[in-house]
Parts: sequence; structure tokens; C-alpha cells
Amino acid sequence: MNGVVEGGWAYVIAAYSITWAAWAVYGVSLWLRNRQESS
Amino acid sequence: MKLTHWILALGATGLLALGAGHGYGLLATPAEASMGETGRILYLHVPTAWVAMLAFTVAFLAAIGSLWSGKATWDLSMESGIEVGMVFSVLICIQGPIWAYPTQNYWWTWDPRLTTTAIMVVAFTGVLVMRRLIHQHERRMAATAVATIVSWVNVPVVYFSVEWWDSVHQDLSQVSSVDRVMLIPLLVSLAGTSLLGTAFFLARYRVARARYLTEEVAPELPDLPEQLELEDSP
Repeated sequence: MNGVVEGGWAYVIAAYSITWAAWAVYGVSLWLRNRQESS
Repeated sequence: MKLTHWILALGATGLLALGAGHGYGLLATPAEASMGETGRILYLHVPTAWVAMLAFTVAFLAAIGSLWSGKATWDLSMESGIEVGMVFSVLICIQGPIWAYPTQNYWWTWDPRLTTTAIMVVAFTGVLVMRRLIHQHERRMAATAVATIVSWVNVPVVYFSVEWWDSVHQDLSQVSSVDRVMLIPLLVSLAGTSLLGTAFFLARYRVARARYLTEEVAPELPDLPEQLELEDSP
């Protein structure tokens, strides 16, 4: 099959946004859990 | 250097590298020859998959260590490795379909790579559930170490699945198969994701250690009866 996928920026932005958001949420959850366990 | 300082240093360095790698990959590299702009998901997906498998492998080695020595450090490392591996595995299961749909016109198919990845996620979820259900420390350590070793057997199968069977998934990424202009952001992103994954692992280990010390040093007091009565009360 030949040809190039046209467009596609929406998928790229979605993949990067979801991943960075998940990393941020997980990082915050680790910080909160550590605070809770250490108190 | 304290553990907290290591976590902050590794996390900050990882985020800086990720910012550079992703920024370069998104803004400065050309679109991929056949996948177009969607090819840029490469800089995200490959490092995420790498860290997921690395974290599960750390958990596997820690499981062997815990069975061998019976030391809590290995057990807590195993738990941390599994959880970090799960976070990154779930992410590859989200990124993959987002990449597959515009390029192959489906979100999911029961292809060997995708199926073995799904089995990996389910298996390690089971190990984490086991850790919740077993409260006695020694039993939990032994049972979940064995379950981790059994679950890990599938990790190399995931990696080599695209070579062993016909797969719609892209072949194994090799340095020689990636153009130099794409290789630089890929390697920088790989380094950044690895550093971030290490920071997550250490932070998760710190949580597990704090919980373990609370359980071991100050076990929960038995519940008090709802109504207290004095022994010599009439």
C-alpha cells in the first residue's frame, strides 16, 4: 500500500496530552501518598 | 544525598530531557514518509514501552531477590516496579490505538503484540490485587514474588512477538532502521522517559517503605469495644 497519511496532528496531540497528564497525575499521587504515609 | 533529592534530581532531569526530545520530535523533525505527522508518536510510544518492560524486569529481579533473601527491600522494590510498569503499560495501551487508527483504520485487533501486551497488563494487575488481599507480610511477599516471576515470563514474549508471529505491529525498532534526524529525538526521549521512570520507581519505593515501617513498627491497634464498662461496675 502506498501513500502518506494526511493530517493526523489531532492524534499526535491527543497521545502526548494524555501521556503527560497521566505522568503528572501519577507524580502528584506519589507525593500525596508519601505525605499520607509519613504523617 | 537523600532519597528525596535523588527523586527530585532524576525527575527534573528526566522532564528536561523529555521536553527537549518531544519538542524536537514534534517541531523540528520532518513528517514520517508513510505515516505522516502521526509518525511523531514514535518519540512517545517506544520510550514508554521500553520503560514499562524495564520496570517489570526490575520487579522480576526483585521477586527473585525477595524469594532468595526474604528481605523486605526486595519485596518493596518488586511492588514499586510492578506499579510503575503498570502506569507505563496502560499508557502504551492508550497510545497504540491512537496511533493505529489513523494509520491502519482500527483501534484494536487481536494481533500477537497487542494480545500479549493485554495479557501482561492483566497478569500484573492480578499481582497488585494479590498484594492488596494478602495481609500477612511473609505470605504476601512469597506469593506475589512467585506470581511476579510467572507474569514476567510473558514480557520477552511481548518483545519478540513481532518476530515470532505475523503481526500488523511495526517490527522491532533498531538504530539502523531509524533515520538519523529521527534517531536523535528518539534517544533523547528514551533517556528522559527512563529517568522519569526511575524517579517514579524511587518515589513509589519511598511510599512502600513508609507503609511497611508503619505496619511493622506500629501495627494497628485492635478495635476498641463500642461500649466500655468498668470491671467493678454494678
